[in-house]
Amino acid sequence: MSDVILKVENLQTSFFTRAGEFKAVGGVSFEIHEGETFGLVGESACGKTVTGLSLLRLLPEPAGQIVGGKIILDGINILELHKEEMRNIRGKKISMILQDPMTSLNPVYTIGDQIAEPIRQHQGIQDRNELVDEVISALRFLQIPAPEQRIHDYPFQMSGGMRQRVVGSIAMSCRPRLLIADEPTTALDATIQAQYLALFKSIQEQTDIGILFITHDFGVVADMCHRVAVMYAGKILETASTSTIFKAPLHPYTVALINSVPRLDQKVDRLYSIEGQPPSLLNLPPGCRFAPRCPDVMDICHEQQPKEVQVDDGHSVSCWKVS
Amino acid sequence: MADVLLEVRELTKHYPVKMGLLQRTVGWIRAVDGISFTIERGKTLGLVGESGAGKTTAAKAILLLERLTSGNILFEGKDLYQFSRSQLKTEYRPSVQSVQQNPWSSMNPRMRVRDIIAEPLIVNTKQSKKEIQTRVLELLEQVGLSTEHAPYYPHEFSGGQRQRIAVARALALNPSLVVLDEPVSALDVSIRAQIMNLLKDLQGQYNLSYLVIAHNLATVRFMSHTVAIMYLGQIVEYGDSEVVLQRPLHPYTKALISASTLTLPEDREQGVEPIILSGEMPSPLNPPPGCRFHTRCPEAREVCSREIPELRKFGNRWVRCSQLV
Amino acid sequence: MQDTVATIEIAPKPAAHGMTRRARIVRSSTFFIPVIILTLIVLVAIFAPLLAPYNPVKISLTDRLMPPFFAEGGSTEHFLGTDKLGRDVLSRLIFGARISLSVSLLVILITSAIGTMLGIIGGYLGGRTEAFLMRITDICLSFPAILVAMLLAVSMGPSFTTVVLAVSVLGWAPYARLIRGETLKLRDADFVAQARIIGSSPVRIMLRHIFPNIVNPLTIIMTLQVGLLIIVEASLSFLGVGIPPPEPSWGNMVNDGRNLIDTAWWISTFPGIAIALVVLSGNFLGDWLRDKLDPKLRQL
Repeated sequence: MSDVILKVENLQTSFFTRAGEFKAVGGVSFEIHEGETFGLVGESACGKTVTGLSLLRLLPEPAGQIVGGKIILDGINILELHKEEMRNIRGKKISMILQDPMTSLNPVYTIGDQIAEPIRQHQGIQDRNELVDEVISALRFLQIPAPEQRIHDYPFQMSGGMRQRVVGSIAMSCRPRLLIADEPTTALDATIQAQYLALFKSIQEQTDIGILFITHDFGVVADMCHRVAVMYAGKILETASTSTIFKAPLHPYTVALINSVPRLDQKVDRLYSIEGQPPSLLNLPPGCRFAPRCPDVMDICHEQQPKEVQVDDGHSVSCWKVS
Repeated sequence: MADVLLEVRELTKHYPVKMGLLQRTVGWIRAVDGISFTIERGKTLGLVGESGAGKTTAAKAILLLERLTSGNILFEGKDLYQFSRSQLKTEYRPSVQSVQQNPWSSMNPRMRVRDIIAEPLIVNTKQSKKEIQTRVLELLEQVGLSTEHAPYYPHEFSGGQRQRIAVARALALNPSLVVLDEPVSALDVSIRAQIMNLLKDLQGQYNLSYLVIAHNLATVRFMSHTVAIMYLGQIVEYGDSEVVLQRPLHPYTKALISASTLTLPEDREQGVEPIILSGEMPSPLNPPPGCRFHTRCPEAREVCSREIPELRKFGNRWVRCSQLV
Repeated sequence: MQDTVATIEIAPKPAAHGMTRRARIVRSSTFFIPVIILTLIVLVAIFAPLLAPYNPVKISLTDRLMPPFFAEGGSTEHFLGTDKLGRDVLSRLIFGARISLSVSLLVILITSAIGTMLGIIGGYLGGRTEAFLMRITDICLSFPAILVAMLLAVSMGPSFTTVVLAVSVLGWAPYARLIRGETLKLRDADFVAQARIIGSSPVRIMLRHIFPNIVNPLTIIMTLQVGLLIIVEASLSFLGVGIPPPEPSWGNMVNDGRNLIDTAWWISTFPGIAIALVVLSGNFLGDWLRDKLDPKLRQL
């Protein structure tokens, strides 16, 4: 097994507001290895984006606070670092791509300037010619055609797919160890998405980078991820390899979620749907968070939170039905 | 013979590009370039395409939000542009309603739910307040909400619930056709299933026709009887959805299907190769010569850059490709 | 299948938890203090006849230029002193509140009504209507308002009506511009398209869909205008083309005391303080409203 780049232990993140404490992430643990794409799947408000932001300590303050757990990057708990030390890590060791390429790029700077910025900061390159070379090679790395002309373009002159590649160039420019991708293809068309994912797979092969892929789309999970964790209401319910998740899911939520995705290769008259809605993060139920909607619920599910059980090599579930 | 509710013939919409002080027209955005299809009573047509394909523009034209540059829309056999203004108001509009993609912006945030659903009735009928309110409560229950929800404001509901409200509003006037523009793409996965099931149930109950615009082929397959695949303003393949989606003929359809199918790593090991297109959809300002898709087509040949393919019949579907003869 | 109504917070509200005590006090006082001040001033204006100790226009040459009670030579008979004609400053201040506020509120009502109407009509209907209305708006905005007011006042002769008219004749333009901008944003909103699909007439859409959604920015502007108009009225009176004597307005009181600043400072100072209080209160309130109303709109 290749080296572990990132180890997250019992991460807890909350938002403190006038209405109370939103327990966005309630104790999440996982590992990401070199050259591995780890998927974090769930619906909106399940905590996947907050997890990603927590890893970079980019939560909106003062409301957002990491209240517990450890984030160990290459052996160092980054939660114990100072702000300047953390700034050195962002962009250099861990990088992030967000969903909307329109707002990820600054409209008043050329893309050349924007890619140059992290290079200048993290690699200390000041000489202009050297910078231009680095920027062009960063663009080439993301297979952007005619990079020498592109560096003078502004974001509005490019299509959505191209902009996402530019965002990717910025993220990859300092060759980080870990890339956090938060729904990077949601805003892209299906065929452009396919291109983009193929590109990232080849980048991963070249650089052995670890990728945390945050998404709600199971198609993307199937395509991109080696292993995947299913999140619900701030907790990970099941972690397994991608093929196991699709072929032999154990947690009722995972089963229901996969079943409710309409499949192009299947014709059904009615889709499987999950009744009800996710719980409020202000007022979480005492037991298992999925209990109010679970088709296989038992009494104990309402009372106590299930513990994580290692079912198989790399397959763990938090469910009373399984333990 | 099929009962055709709506027929579109060579629907074309070009937007002028104006520049300069005198606002001279320097070019045309050929958003929709001569598309034709029919929607039967009680059936669903899925209009599929990526952004820039022109499907939203086509929907807007049918909803009379855009004027056609050329072409005809026939409703129950009659040309819409022959309708008088009052005929449009009394005969067409109440019969053709819409559910939009974004459940957050499709409702006036300052109106209560019961007023939102009542509005079509207030504008189009002379029913009394009491009659209207009764109907509103009826509609709320039909879409799976409770009558208690009536006095609330939209922002107090979740996305899925708001789409239900939108559906209730669309049904208020007993339409024959509902245009649904990406009705579930803004919703969570588990909620999508709820809404799609609801739409199907309502279709059966009221013999509704749907025009579903979607980029997600799986959604389209679940909901549609016929499907039209659009690329850069034209229809490239059109026919029964089972036939088109199971045995596609046009290379673009094949690429879309490949991009939309769940392929697990082991499937790939078994030799299922994903089709990845190169480049991006060209601008509708300047479509490529010959076949518009040839610049990205993995099966393109020399003839494709010269000859403009016509939509031709192949069995019970239509395909626009120079290589299929 | 019943769904329960769920209020889902898409973005958490700013933390009260993370704020210092000082910050929290400041935050609430930006609302309460201005409101209290403005309410008091409005009450004073309404109950002026009951509150003022003297007749504001009564001349008493024996009591000329008396200082306020706390200064040397002053007495509690004339709390804030008297002006050069022996009129009680406090009484004039109280009645002045009435006049100054009336001008302000009347102008706000007139200009906001006209400006909003034209802004919505132009913004929604577009085309030549919009172009025409916006040209007129631009012309009004480019005229120096004080100059026009002065010209009108001079040609019509100064009076309460003249002042109101003079300020209103151009004062609607900023509203029209702002509301037209807001209308443009709403014109392309999904729910407006829906209203058209349902068959609503343009009038219904403008009244039922556009107007209720521009009320928020409109209210903010109206609140901010209160202070501005007090200053406009004061400026006009200061220049001698405002409210004519002997009626007191804060503006003409400042004007009266202008030449006596070094000796009878109280004649200009107290009305000046009153003006400042109203302007500050209005601005704080407007800012508070903007903070309160805009983020919610964004969340929607």
